[in-house]
Amino acid sequence: MMSRRFRFDIWTFVLIGAWAILLILLIWPLSSILRASLIDNETGTLSLVHYVEIFTTRVYQRAIGNTMIAGFGGMTGALILGVTLAFVTTRFHIYGRAVIQTLAVIALVSPPFIGAYAWIVLFGASGVVRKVLAAIGISIPPLYGVAGVIMVFSFKFFPHVFLITSGALAAINRSVEEAAESLGVSPMKRLFTITFPLILPAISASALLTFVLSIADFGTPRIIGRDFNVLATEAFNLYGGEVGENPGMASALSIVLIALSMIIVFGQRWVLRKNVYYSNMIKKPERQQVSGLKSLGLHVLAYGIVLFGALPAIIVVLFSFRRTSGPVFQPGLSLQSYEKVISTVSEPIWNTLIFSSIAVVAIVITGTLIGYLISRRPSFATGSLDAILMVPYVVPGIVMGIAFITRFNDPPIALTGTGLIIILAIYIRRLPYSARSVSAALKQVGPNLEDAAVSLGYSPGKAFMKVTVPLIVPGILAGALMSFVTAMNELSSSLVLYVGSTITMPVRIYLSVMDGEYGTASALSTILLVMTVAAVYAAFHLSGRKESALL
Amino acid sequence: MRQKEWGVAGLKIQGLAKSYREVRVLENINLDIASGEFFTLLGPSGCGKTTLLRTIAGFQSQDRGEIIVNGERIDHKPAHKRDIGMVFQDYAIFPHLTVAENVAFGLKARSLPKSEIRTRVDESLAMVRLEGYQNRLPAEMSGGQQQRIGLARAMAIRPTLLLMDEPLSNLDAKLRIELREDIRDIQRRLGITTIYVTHDQEEALAVSDRICVMNKGNVEQIGTPFEIYRKPLRRFAAAFVGTMNFVPGRIEGGRLSIGSQSIPSPAGGIDGPIEVAIRPENVLLAGDPHRGEAITLKGEVRKVTFLGREAHYTLSTEAGEIVAQVADPERDFIEMEGRPIEVKLPLGRVALFKSNGDVVEAGQG
Ligand SMILES: Nc1ncnc2c1ncn2[C@@H]1O[C@H](COP(=O)(O)OP(=O)(O)O)[C@@H](O)[C@H]1O
Ligand SMILES: [Mg+2]
Repeated sequence: MMSRRFRFDIWTFVLIGAWAILLILLIWPLSSILRASLIDNETGTLSLVHYVEIFTTRVYQRAIGNTMIAGFGGMTGALILGVTLAFVTTRFHIYGRAVIQTLAVIALVSPPFIGAYAWIVLFGASGVVRKVLAAIGISIPPLYGVAGVIMVFSFKFFPHVFLITSGALAAINRSVEEAAESLGVSPMKRLFTITFPLILPAISASALLTFVLSIADFGTPRIIGRDFNVLATEAFNLYGGEVGENPGMASALSIVLIALSMIIVFGQRWVLRKNVYYSNMIKKPERQQVSGLKSLGLHVLAYGIVLFGALPAIIVVLFSFRRTSGPVFQPGLSLQSYEKVISTVSEPIWNTLIFSSIAVVAIVITGTLIGYLISRRPSFATGSLDAILMVPYVVPGIVMGIAFITRFNDPPIALTGTGLIIILAIYIRRLPYSARSVSAALKQVGPNLEDAAVSLGYSPGKAFMKVTVPLIVPGILAGALMSFVTAMNELSSSLVLYVGSTITMPVRIYLSVMDGEYGTASALSTILLVMTVAAVYAAFHLSGRKESALL
Repeated sequence: MRQKEWGVAGLKIQGLAKSYREVRVLENINLDIASGEFFTLLGPSGCGKTTLLRTIAGFQSQDRGEIIVNGERIDHKPAHKRDIGMVFQDYAIFPHLTVAENVAFGLKARSLPKSEIRTRVDESLAMVRLEGYQNRLPAEMSGGQQQRIGLARAMAIRPTLLLMDEPLSNLDAKLRIELREDIRDIQRRLGITTIYVTHDQEEALAVSDRICVMNKGNVEQIGTPFEIYRKPLRRFAAAFVGTMNFVPGRIEGGRLSIGSQSIPSPAGGIDGPIEVAIRPENVLLAGDPHRGEAITLKGEVRKVTFLGREAHYTLSTEAGEIVAQVADPERDFIEMEGRPIEVKLPLGRVALFKSNGDVVEAGQG
């Protein structure tokens, strides 16, 4: 038997702290969902009745099928749009790349829920675009049902794919592609046999992300899906009590939803199992100059994708300046929506700013430490930490919210109704983004640097602060930015957790849309959009990095 | 040569063992390194050199064994309290700090006064011939210069021990020789105990006071460069350091037979298959003068390789292939190809290895 000496240093405490955080804020709350899903409503005993019902009832079977359709549909659409845009902008000379990136960021941060409403305004039964087209004799079906949901998901989530893959595409060693070229491989074949496999980590990561985002989204299927029911909408209805409350059933549906996402998580790991490719930059790819029709086509393609993606945001901004009378828009322009927001509903603005800032500070600090731990201290304890960190990724916000309400309602931890519970929900949901972007950044920093500092007399903690942190600041900032943007736009968990005094902007927007106050909703969305875009540009300015540094 | 204080244990390693999961990377390492010694760990890649060095530095802990510096056990100390300087294969220069800041980095941890830090930084940079580069960023410097910064940075803290892990392997051949001479000069001047890791046998022979040949987590042989080259105790060391011909033979009834040749065995008391080892420069061709006993083999010159200062003849003999080195080849050496030839292996220059890899000591038995 070997005796292995275990050295206690600062990272031991970080490891213990990280596990404590995940136990209290993730595993314990979620266990309530699992437990509720296993309790028979009538008898109060442990049973699998809810699961049996899910897999035997037509409506739920359909929901599962629809969820997969929405997930794969949204993922495929977003991948096609995002990879195309990334490829065009990294490989060809396109005028106004900054504009394209800005529009992509706007599409990315466009406030939740109101986007779906904007699509209805444009392509709904009495949608503006449909009417205009009908006037010139082109009739297109209204944007409802499965096709509408998939289309909206594709345009809502493609910016994630774009941002993740363009970073990877820009980092491919050009010599590898040139080698293939010299071996006589055609450009198209080269794309699929060389280029895409090389950026497989980025493609599969964005596939996973868009799949999970698609199946967890309940606003879009709710507004656009009509009778296209998915697990997220069914669960929300049962939690919300619109069709009679049934928390057991709702929990079981949530667990099925999480399980479906986990399949994709493991699928991604399987796809990447052999991928040990680290790009060592020898020769950066160059942007090809093109002219004539080809150039025109590429510009139309690139601008078409981002403009269409940013359309909901643009519509919302325009509508925020329209005159309203009650829920009805009137001809003419006015600032009355903004006046109303400022005079009556400024509280959510402050709440949103305060909650997101606190959450992001906490996320950045702990995410950096955990990201470091995972990539630099591989062990069973850190490996399982990494695996568990995938869970917040796949748990829909609503489910997280319900789990928090259940566990943090009574002592020992009674938080219901406080701002803290909203902050903690955002914190645990976005922690993985930060931890992952830090561990990605760490891959670029040689591990010997810290050893060098230690051999020169710095303790491991000091070596980390003095050497590693300065070098991964861009990665930390990118993660912080992503967390901040998503924290400001967090709707689903806040919707479950808010009370009057802790209402946030996304929740307020959701309620306004539901109440038919489209003017107020548009004005609030515009303010949120401006705040988010300002945050994005402040961060880019501070870090001197490009948008593609996101995630 | 600089006067060494042999016997004063600079570094003692006893019974060191280390495994990763099930794989035993270091089996049972025992070393006794004198203070001021330039001690080299030489072995093929993957044999555990880096692991041993990092264990000494304290970056990882051993499963068993002790590390003793000047009589004091240090293996319980955390790495940053060991006062051991380290030079890395990939330089590990801090890219966000200037050259001077890199060198001052360890001095700041020791909270020395500013003026002292300045003096030592300038001294260290002068030592590695990088005066005037103080304010450059590492990205603007060549690999050789970066490694000089690495050396200056490690030496600035005046460590009790200097560890270097293949410091030259990322440099091109010419620079490698230049920098290795500099390292050796600096080491001698300061008299700092140094453990140097390399897989390059020529480098090891050129710089070391003593060499430790390692294989698969074990020490094969420790000795001066001369001993390692001329008196290898293990087949592995013989094969790894320099070029060595091995031809199969047999000792039976007091006679050593190779091919059709049979002579009285130089070593008695053993029976069985052996390998006869001889370096190319010791193989004699017909006409070369020699004294003493030799094994004579018949063969043919199969290939001639011209190397400038010397030429190599690859010979097929009745006992197998043998490479012979010809110093200062004549104009007509190339015409030797295809000619029959007789070679002599002087017994004074051959080593015999048993099938377990141990050398057969002359007169053994
Ligand atoms: N962290 C590690 N985990 C598992 N195996 C390792 C690790 N580090 C090194 N090894 C293995 O230990 C052996 C010795 O490695 P190393 O000390 O780096 O050899 P060298 O420096 O002589 O090339 C190798 O077989 C290597 O694969
Ligand atoms: Mg090594």
